Amino acid sequence: MRVRGRDLETIISYILTIGVLVSLAVEGVGLGYYYATTESLQVDFTSRWQTRGNDFFAYAWGTLLSLGEGATPLSLIALGIVLLMVTPYVRVLASVVYFTVERNPKYALISLFVLAVLTISLKAH
Amino acid sequence: MVDVITVLLLSILAGLLGSLVGLGGSLVTTPALVALGVPVKYAIAAGMVTIIATSSGSASSYVREKIVNVKAAMFLEMFTIVGAIVGASVTSIVPAKFLYFFFAAFLLTSFVGIGRRGRGEVPQAVNQDGLARWLQLEGSYHDKSLGKDVNYKLTRPALGGAGMFVAGIAAGMLGIGAGAFKVSVHELILKMPSKVSTTTSSFIIGMTALAGASVYIFSGLLYLDLAAPMMIGTTLGAFLGGRSLNRIRSSTLHRLFLVVVLLVMVEMLYKGVTA
Repeated sequence: MRVRGRDLETIISYILTIGVLVSLAVEGVGLGYYYATTESLQVDFTSRWQTRGNDFFAYAWGTLLSLGEGATPLSLIALGIVLLMVTPYVRVLASVVYFTVERNPKYALISLFVLAVLTISLKAH
Repeated sequence: MVDVITVLLLSILAGLLGSLVGLGGSLVTTPALVALGVPVKYAIAAGMVTIIATSSGSASSYVREKIVNVKAAMFLEMFTIVGAIVGASVTSIVPAKFLYFFFAAFLLTSFVGIGRRGRGEVPQAVNQDGLARWLQLEGSYHDKSLGKDVNYKLTRPALGGAGMFVAGIAAGMLGIGAGAFKVSVHELILKMPSKVSTTTSSFIIGMTALAGASVYIFSGLLYLDLAAPMMIGTTLGAFLGGRSLNRIRSSTLHRLFLVVVLLVMVEMLYKGVTA
């Protein structure tokens, strides 16, 4: 299975490695920033740390917009979680494209089903 | 209540211990946090996000080496993600007391891994059923310890799908990967070689965790100040554990495994009774 000289396994491996490393790095910077600017490091379960809304894509977009207004520890940590959750999502998206380009309708449909269920669940909770 | 540094250090320790004894993700971190007074549902929600990182990170190199069977994974994910969404939705509404007991009971499935450990042979003469042939469920990988390419065929994907649906429910409910259960389904039903089954399981867990997290992220149970240090700590601990795995004797690991599982079970049962 090859598309433009790359196989699906290599593409997926890149997506997973980059996604996890970047999200961990962003979380690390966010936590470091929090540590540097806050006196109390209690995990206090206050509502500002709670994820809100009912649409992940809107939440992700809102996080990017709030970062545009200036990075805070909270917005960086939220961005890290968003990037982490986007990683497997992009992996399925890549599989749909790959199997479509490879003209493998069975697996294009199977990956499309996974993508559809995830999209509905991320949009509608 | 706990602070960020405690969560970070505890997650590193739990991730290290978990990867040493073969219990990945949050199966150790979640009960450890509960022991410190974190509400069980908050620990489960943060655990679900955490295992996206630990499983995707560990699966990436196995995917590149083509040990993971991506086609089988895509097929089985159809079932496990639906299960995870159902499971996570159940956790959002049931009383916490019920979750402690279910967690303790589900730990029993991790004992399945003990008998399996070190076997590593490839099932021979697998008769594929019609659906398995139609889905082209077969593969080959290079086995370094055997020094040769291994070819294999899989069978009974429909029953395997049903098993993965159940695994998904448990994973979604408890915020864990349910890896031992998934591996059993792969090997006993689909007849996967054990190297393919463990690596394909961690690959699938990343997707199951996203499906579960898609419910938790807006259920009011996910707190970023808990999830962030838990995710960094567990991943770091799992990485360190993976590197030191070959330096520890397997009989020591075996005993450590029993102690860890028993401790966690007793703790969860105690919490369930006193909740």
